[in-house]
Amino acid sequence: MSASLFQPPGELSPAEALHLSQQAPSVLKSNPASIRSAPLLALFSAKDTPDLWTKYENLLLSCLRTGDEPSARQCLERIANRFGADNERVMALIGLVKEAECQNDRALDEVLKEYNKILTNNNTNIPIAKRRIALLRSIGRTSDAVSSLNTLLDFSPTDSEAWSELSDIYLGQGMYAQAIFALEEVLVLAPNAWNMHARLGEVLYMAATTTQAAESPAQKYLAEALKRFCRSIELCDDYLRGYYGLKLVTSHILKTPPKPSKQSDEDRFSLPDDAKLKALDEMATTKLAEIIRRNSAGEGGWKGYSKSEIEAARKLLDQDNNRVR
Amino acid sequence: MILTGVLRHYASVLMAAGPKKVDAKTMKEQRGLFRGVNLRNNYHVLSGPSFRARRDNITTAYETGAYLKEPTGSGQPAPNPMTDPNAMEGMMGAMKNNMAMIIPNTLIMSWINAFFSGYVIMKLPFPLTIKFKSMLQAGVMTKDMDPRWMSSISWYFLCMFGLQSVFNFLLGRDAASQMTQQMSGMNQQNANPFGPGQDPNKQFTAEAENLAVIEHYSVLDDVEDRLLAGINN
Repeated sequence: MSASLFQPPGELSPAEALHLSQQAPSVLKSNPASIRSAPLLALFSAKDTPDLWTKYENLLLSCLRTGDEPSARQCLERIANRFGADNERVMALIGLVKEAECQNDRALDEVLKEYNKILTNNNTNIPIAKRRIALLRSIGRTSDAVSSLNTLLDFSPTDSEAWSELSDIYLGQGMYAQAIFALEEVLVLAPNAWNMHARLGEVLYMAATTTQAAESPAQKYLAEALKRFCRSIELCDDYLRGYYGLKLVTSHILKTPPKPSKQSDEDRFSLPDDAKLKALDEMATTKLAEIIRRNSAGEGGWKGYSKSEIEAARKLLDQDNNRVR
Repeated sequence: MILTGVLRHYASVLMAAGPKKVDAKTMKEQRGLFRGVNLRNNYHVLSGPSFRARRDNITTAYETGAYLKEPTGSGQPAPNPMTDPNAMEGMMGAMKNNMAMIIPNTLIMSWINAFFSGYVIMKLPFPLTIKFKSMLQAGVMTKDMDPRWMSSISWYFLCMFGLQSVFNFLLGRDAASQMTQQMSGMNQQNANPFGPGQDPNKQFTAEAENLAVIEHYSVLDDVEDRLLAGINN
């Protein structure tokens, strides 16, 4: 997949990020240093398009990631020139660059204090609030991060980014029930996000395998995980993570068949019967094999999978083969 | 003429209020309602127990007024929008914009009237029927003049309407002349769900009722059957 400056850079592999940030000098040179919005001058300078600013922002992030701070500074200056340094989003970017330039913990504390000061002036500055939470998390003050996330979500409960961050933190702490709750909130906001369905399936599966097996919550988690993976595949054909998870869950259930639960609660999802499980397992296996085959053959339209995911799927299938033999 | 257009653009840019800051409580009120609406629309992604837990939580919060900006004010009649300073500011913004358009327009019009009235300015190089007289010879009360003669005031109007693209070219896409219309449309969209004079508490209780009558089903109910059926076909 060729990386482009118009895509959000969160998903890029290190090599792609490096490639992008190496383009920084040429991008910076090919665009004028400042965009004028004055009349007449606007006629002769470059067009002020939203694309350009997306490009600068993504370039800034890639440069920070690869340690090219001078270029990042330049991007930041141009953005700040255009939108003013008191724009909320620009403030967050400025903070981000400052964080990246910090050499030690003391400097990070300074940045944190600045964030606090901004937030006391304006407590609804959401980009800065998010930066502060991310900073708190990265310097290890997880409980502070969680409590500030919760206050943020208290007055802005429709923020899917914050909910998914919260679920990630909870998952890191091993608090599965809370992580699942937060992910469900994300799904309520984005009901057709197949990656979130698969992610929730993964969390449910983790919760099921770490709690005592054959207990009724574990079984409930397994059943829901299975269904989440199915849903993510239904929403997105050839979704590798979905098939991978489906394969994991079905083989787990087939290996250790859970006892039939005593109380039959019709509310809860029940596991499908063995024949269906086997069919699902088989389906996932063939599909994974197909994805791996086509990807390694380099067929058009099948190259978008990340290498590590393909590798993991291959390992899973190998394990499966060994067990059968 | 172009200069006045340009000046008007900058006047309205100067007078336009930036996006208003929303304090945490207002935001909580608005987004709290959106949360309920989202839950009502997308409840099918949740499993039964987790949906019910959320519904109970949200409805009690709605009914006790946990999301309200002024918990004490619930149940009181809707406040007069004139007394709410925030609403006032919004109205003033609209008014300011209108004023910025009206004052120069009236000034220019009177000036134009004094300046351009009463004489013909050019002769069109092609013949026209008598119907064009009213369009081309405004301000000249000559009955039997050839419609090819054009009065100055008509020429002014034609130019003013034709200058839109010139302004776009000079001032960028969001020229003031277009902007006013778009802005009034946009304000309506991303404004809060509570119009002036509506009681948020009532909307919350209505939303709570909406949530209470939902008969829950989950999209996950038979998903594996659907998936297997889809593969077999």
